[in-house]
Amino acid sequence: MPAEDLVEFAVDHARARGASYAEARYEQQDQEQFILKNGVLDALFVGEDRGIGVRVLLKGALGFAATNLLTKAEVRATVDAALKCARTSKRKSPIEFAREDAVLANWSVPEGERLADVAVEEKIQEIARIDASVTAQGLKIPARYFVLGTNRIRKDFANSEGSRIRSYSPRMRLYYYLTVARGSDAEQTHRDFGWSGGWEGVRAWDLETNILEEARTMDRSLKEGRKSPEGKMDLVVGPHVSGIAAHESCGHPTEADRILGREASQAGKSFITPEDVGMRIGSDVVDVVDDPTLEHAVAFYLYDDEGVKARRRYLYKEGRVHEFLQNRETAAALGTRSNGAARAVNYNVEAIVRMANTFVEPKDHSLEELLEGIRFGIYMKSFMEWNIDDKRFNAKYAGREAYLIENGELKHPVRNTIIELTTPAFWSAVDAVGKDLAFEGGYCGKSDPGQALDASLGGPHMRLRNVYLR
Amino acid sequence: MEDIASRIVSRATALGCEDAVAEVVANRSYQIRFARNEPVISSRWRERTASVFFVHEKRVVASEIKDLTKADEAVERLVKVAKTSRRNPEYRGIAQGPFRYTRMQPDPKILRLDDGNDHVAAAVNGALEMGAKECAGSFWKYETEHALASSNGALGRDHRAGVYLSIRALVGPEASGHGIAAASRLSRFDPAKAGRKAGRVAALVKSPRVGTAGRYTVVLDPLIFGSFTDHVATLASAWRVLAGTSPFGKKIGKRVASEALTVYEDGSAESLARRRFDAEGVPTRRTLLVQKGVLKTYLHNTSTAKRFKARTTGNAGLIAPEPHAVDVKPGDWSKDEIFAEVKDGLWLTNTWYTRFQSYVAGDLSTIPRDGIFRIRKGEVVECWKDIRVTDNLLRVLRNVVALSDRTEQMTWWGEVSVPNFVPYALVKDVRITRSAE
Repeated sequence: MPAEDLVEFAVDHARARGASYAEARYEQQDQEQFILKNGVLDALFVGEDRGIGVRVLLKGALGFAATNLLTKAEVRATVDAALKCARTSKRKSPIEFAREDAVLANWSVPEGERLADVAVEEKIQEIARIDASVTAQGLKIPARYFVLGTNRIRKDFANSEGSRIRSYSPRMRLYYYLTVARGSDAEQTHRDFGWSGGWEGVRAWDLETNILEEARTMDRSLKEGRKSPEGKMDLVVGPHVSGIAAHESCGHPTEADRILGREASQAGKSFITPEDVGMRIGSDVVDVVDDPTLEHAVAFYLYDDEGVKARRRYLYKEGRVHEFLQNRETAAALGTRSNGAARAVNYNVEAIVRMANTFVEPKDHSLEELLEGIRFGIYMKSFMEWNIDDKRFNAKYAGREAYLIENGELKHPVRNTIIELTTPAFWSAVDAVGKDLAFEGGYCGKSDPGQALDASLGGPHMRLRNVYLR
Repeated sequence: MEDIASRIVSRATALGCEDAVAEVVANRSYQIRFARNEPVISSRWRERTASVFFVHEKRVVASEIKDLTKADEAVERLVKVAKTSRRNPEYRGIAQGPFRYTRMQPDPKILRLDDGNDHVAAAVNGALEMGAKECAGSFWKYETEHALASSNGALGRDHRAGVYLSIRALVGPEASGHGIAAASRLSRFDPAKAGRKAGRVAALVKSPRVGTAGRYTVVLDPLIFGSFTDHVATLASAWRVLAGTSPFGKKIGKRVASEALTVYEDGSAESLARRRFDAEGVPTRRTLLVQKGVLKTYLHNTSTAKRFKARTTGNAGLIAPEPHAVDVKPGDWSKDEIFAEVKDGLWLTNTWYTRFQSYVAGDLSTIPRDGIFRIRKGEVVECWKDIRVTDNLLRVLRNVVALSDRTEQMTWWGEVSVPNFVPYALVKDVRITRSAE
């Protein structure tokens, strides 16, 4: 039975058995991934993942079941398992879903050079060529590895309200980890690139230029880097840093499921409460956006995994909490509508509230303009170590590539600059935002079982005034 | 299932592969997630997959075949891919079988368990009894069946099952505690105890203030110490050493921790991760990883073991060696003696988001969550919040002063990736930082 018929059958069977709401999601993920470690192809992974996940609402309780055995009998048994889950769930307060209209849609991501048409050897060859360029620089590189992955995701979604959505989303990710040494001293970095589309994404990433530049700056940092000064000073951060800050301290705390406590035991809660829309977090120049509809961003989609149309969401606007990320369950609990933020990493897990492509909205400053007003400070272009507490209030970013700024000019590299600030302290200190938006790929972790999901993190350069660094 | 595994291996070797392993897995796990003291969703899985590993003239390809009705076609396709791939000159083969496996059976009571709601209720009620207002977490019944075959004669079957519950209890937005219950025998599963632990810690948190940066003597609860020992095992994988993402490179035979610390890796012992064999079919075993602070071995599969002139430790994953379970040798201090030893220090109950600035150096930071307590003369005198451990993995391990005489099985979302049997640990001179004013 074709996938679209199986999901329809699953929904009909669930409704016939008493579900007040049912949805079924078929996913087929054709994956290729290889690891090139120290110039050697470590292993090639090729996967054809496919299956159906069914979620039902029965007497106010949610049940979910998944199978990769795609026969009608097995799908029927899977629906029955989901219903059993809901039926045995001992809940006092009924779960409700916010209202949505039925949608009939078929969308796909334009794929310039089809990923399936590019031989795996050609993909390996491309990364091996870049690897060879890196090692040809004459730098001491004791260890390195690259992971290139492609994933062609096909989905068929149906729900009991009449929605039927088919989609095709080809994606590509590159992750690399690099160690550069001088004597016994070493610096390490990892970077992540993401793309929705075809093989043309490799050229759009401009990998060779980026990686060679990174390796050279690591070597320069080892050779010329000095201890980063400690104290209050001005700071300019690059897109790499503004992107992670947007994701960690704007995106995560505005996820409605965290705010409502559904993730409390795993990814945590939020310092933002349901009543905090309008609360000031940052200065007036801070606008932070999550936008699934951003062309070629790795987390691009037009309809989420609950069949809700995707749209741009302002999380912080003019420095204030503006909108939470919602799915239908959280939206009903908060008396609003979903804004299309429900996603699942695969067929066998429930869709929950997720960020997509989260970024600081660019303004009008060039990097030179941001620097010229600074008498003494730090330019932190990129970071290595980072973390944030589970309420998303205390964040740390440890510099990878950073420089001293004196009288508006970049001086020598400084090593391991530490930003350790609260979310309001960080965003309130922003007084100017650049115009040079750039993105990094990322995996965002949440839920149980853990769902490491494609996300992109972006922003322009930003200037922060008088923050404590060490 | 054995038939399918053997057929996949035979097909791959017939197509020219010198090495082939297939592990067919049937997953029948069941979960309840709960929040705000009641279930939010309950899930069941009905999946069958085959993890396969083929080598054709040193060209390595791995996959998970999801449609076992078309396994032959999948094998042909994969071998074709392998043939067009690149040689891995560092690949040194898989283990030579056949092997004899220990007899181990899952607990029939766990296999029969069909409804976990009472266990969730027991945990939540345990926390509420201690003063908690809000609880969230997960209950899991894990059940998987495995059949493995290799071209070198490994042939094994395994049936694994366990129960697990993780609960976070909150008294207020900044007063929380966490408890874990994990067992492979239902009679040893105590979710109420986990709930009481989470609730007790949460209720102990009164008016927390932002902590003060400095160096402190610290008592680490098993859950947070488990995060550190989990990193020891994960970073001891030979793959991580070769990739330059481990502080243990060139440290075999050298001191990496204090004499108080002896760590075993053990997939064969009773734990949530107990298994008969690794991904090559090698029987799991007890491996001495750190003996009185000295690193004894890396974790190996057959291929990495040959590169390091060692023997496989039975830790093969599909591609790289990985730990199954960690067992820390308990110390000879009682838990009370550990606390009493602290004249002025901290008690940390949980952590998350451990990240490294440099894996080779071991520089890291991690963020304590849930109860953080200032203790003087063994007594809680103050509650803290908003601090960070900013230190070095090897430094922390070398500063372990004492371990308690009982271990608990810890595994937790994101931080403790495999079951770690860990005691309370007393660690001196731990660097604490906090957000700037």
